[in-house]
Amino acid sequence: MKNIKPKQVKSLLKALEKENYDKASEMLDQIVAKRNESLIEGVEEIAQNLHDTLEGFGQDAQLLRDTKHGLPDATERLEYVMQTTEEASNKTLSAAENMIGLLESIESQTSDEKIAGYVRQAHAEMTEIMTAQSFQDLTGQVLNRVIMLVTSLEASLKDLIQRSGLSLDAIPAAHQSEAERKAEEEKGMGPNVTRESQKGTVGSQADVDAMLDDLGI
Amino acid sequence: MQIDRNMNILVVDDFSTMRRIVKNLLKELGFSKFDEADDGATAWPMIQSGKYDFIVSDWNMPEMTGIDLLRHVRADEKLKSTPFLLITAEAKRAQILEAAEAGVDGYIVKPFTAATLNGKIEKIFERVAERKKAAGG
Repeated sequence: MKNIKPKQVKSLLKALEKENYDKASEMLDQIVAKRNESLIEGVEEIAQNLHDTLEGFGQDAQLLRDTKHGLPDATERLEYVMQTTEEASNKTLSAAENMIGLLESIESQTSDEKIAGYVRQAHAEMTEIMTAQSFQDLTGQVLNRVIMLVTSLEASLKDLIQRSGLSLDAIPAAHQSEAERKAEEEKGMGPNVTRESQKGTVGSQADVDAMLDDLGI
Repeated sequence: MQIDRNMNILVVDDFSTMRRIVKNLLKELGFSKFDEADDGATAWPMIQSGKYDFIVSDWNMPEMTGIDLLRHVRADEKLKSTPFLLITAEAKRAQILEAAEAGVDGYIVKPFTAATLNGKIEKIFERVAERKKAAGG
């Protein structure tokens, strides 16, 4: 506002009083132009601040590293949970289906009322096991939402970083010092579910056994 | 009331586990003819073939939602009376209302039991029979 001069406003009023609309319109344009100028200056200032703030973090800052490595890693982990629960549900469903088939065969072949009763009860329990697998659908829908949110957060942050004039390529690759890696391995880190963490892992128990064999254990 | 256990049923859900569970439960209820679709968008051309006597669908699917699929079915002169059951995790009153307005025949909130599914199906086909009777068919 400070670059709008009272003189300009007075001329605008004067022009309006005289019903000189051409002049009034010209004065109004001048005032609006001044106002736009200060808006642009304001936006430029904000952009500069953002750039300075992000640059102040340095290319190695946690936020930048999390954006480049942490968020994709989180998504990959959630996808692993989706996949694993789906596989487990399908295994359980197969077993329950086979079991129901067996129970139906027994039921059709037995003339013993007591056994038939047990079989019907077991069948009902199997149906219960089967329907309980619907947890995979419900938790899967929740995970899908979180994955979408993380992915969109990742995209927004990358956009912000690039807009501030920093380069994503300049953010260093995910790295751990030898000491950090050793400390993490010492502590144990759960299943190696991401491509990054699968580096240097065994593929199966057969691989473990082969290694043990080589080591004479 | 006698339900035709030989009817063709389409089960629509983006989660294969859920399709499998619904199919197994329907099998336990004596039904035997099912097809599956993993989205409203894949289900719609299948339904347009006119093959199905009953549609069981999820709501939240990536390409075309179950509620949209229902609206497509209800807007089609030949298909509009096909019984349609929604089985979904969507449980807001407003959503149930929306489904009712779109012309759903039954609504089951996940997780559900075999008994709930059985009860809904019986109710749906009772009403279908009444409608046919009222229409003089």
